Amino acid sequence: MEIRLSSILLAAALLSGCSWFHRGEKPPAQIVADEPQAEPSIIEPQVNRREVKTPKIKAKDFELGAYFGALSIQDFGTNPIYGVRAAYHVSEDIFLEADVARSKAGLSSLEDVFPQITVVSNSGRQFTYYDLNVGYNVLPGEIFLGRGRAFNNALYVTLGMGAVKFADEDQFALNFGVGDRILVTDWLALHLDVKDHVFESTLFGVDKNVHNIEATLGITTFF
Amino acid sequence: MRPLFALVLLLQAFHIGLANAAEQHLELVVAEPYLEMHSGPGRGFPVVYTVGRDEFVTVLYSRTDWYKVRAPGGQEGWVRRADLARTLLASGEPAPIPPYPDFSTHRWEMGAGYGVYNRQNLVTAYGDFGITNSIDAEFVVQQALGTLDNRYVTSIGLRHTFMPEWKWFSPTAGIGTAFQYVEDKVPPAPLEKTNQMAYVSLGARGFITRRFMWRADWRHYVVFNNLNVSEELEEWKFGLAVFF
Repeated sequence: MEIRLSSILLAAALLSGCSWFHRGEKPPAQIVADEPQAEPSIIEPQVNRREVKTPKIKAKDFELGAYFGALSIQDFGTNPIYGVRAAYHVSEDIFLEADVARSKAGLSSLEDVFPQITVVSNSGRQFTYYDLNVGYNVLPGEIFLGRGRAFNNALYVTLGMGAVKFADEDQFALNFGVGDRILVTDWLALHLDVKDHVFESTLFGVDKNVHNIEATLGITTFF
Repeated sequence: MRPLFALVLLLQAFHIGLANAAEQHLELVVAEPYLEMHSGPGRGFPVVYTVGRDEFVTVLYSRTDWYKVRAPGGQEGWVRRADLARTLLASGEPAPIPPYPDFSTHRWEMGAGYGVYNRQNLVTAYGDFGITNSIDAEFVVQQALGTLDNRYVTSIGLRHTFMPEWKWFSPTAGIGTAFQYVEDKVPPAPLEKTNQMAYVSLGARGFITRRFMWRADWRHYVVFNNLNVSEELEEWKFGLAVFF
């Protein structure tokens, strides 16, 4: 109650523009008349605290991008492949990578020679894989384009595993590859990769390891 | 081809958005006689510029152990983490270079690995949150690929690390619940396609470098089914992970 009363009094004091109203004396009439727009005498401190806030350093350890190239599916010819890639750089040497990609197989030589034979159905010709890899930057360095331009790059090797879906079946697949990452700017990279996906197939009646080698060109950004 | 271009465009747009968002950069004063700037974020890249004592550098961003900085004259280069940690703020306080997360007290973990589940090849990925230093909650998604069937298994559980302060090798034990979905490959079809399961696990973890670590785990599952025989499965796996 007291607080409300005093705030009303304070408001009144501000409105009247009188400095000694609080003393309980009535302001002389001429002062009010002389200075109708006088500033309120209660000083509001204009103290702006300096915000001591150090900006955070942004870490750009993630890489995200897409790639496109050719995949040679064993016994089924070479076909275009496209995929997406995400990577996390743990240290300047090691990175972890995940890929998802898709291609479509052509005809096997058996189907070429005997068109009445179907080894894989049409929907089974989709070749889809995902993999999780560990990569190591073996040869980091600079490459030069003419006299005045140098790009950072790294030759790396990857090893990983994942699953391949082909002929309507998921298969466990190992993969190993070698690639080169060329940093066009510090945040944009071009990749050249060659990778082999190995899995066990019984498609032609016998159990065998099939090698599916891809050569791709990719583009990624760091963020 | 079109989705690829669309994706690349999207990535560029995303990056530009990020770049514009971070306007304010950290400014640090060189306290040592000089600060070396390398041409790339790696130990072998040559020194291309040095900044003298009492000069300011602007820290743009980091990549692994390296920090991209801008010298007063506009020259840009990469500075080693240990070197940048010896610089100061304008107020004289040491540079706020965050230390590596301590392995024994880390909170988050993300990893993936290879294993064998019920004699099938297993691809596994997991996330882990440390409730205390010795008790973690783990969430695992995995795919087992076999000749007769493929199985998708998710699990959630608690894990105890006996000696979290042991850096290179520390044993663990855990319990949890899991769910599996069986995708048939060769007839006859499985009697039950989905199962609830429970597991106990024994394992170990260890530090490798920086924020990199390994984990090994053995699990014994009990499958809850409506058949007369209860099914029990075994799994072991080895994975690599990053911790935060």
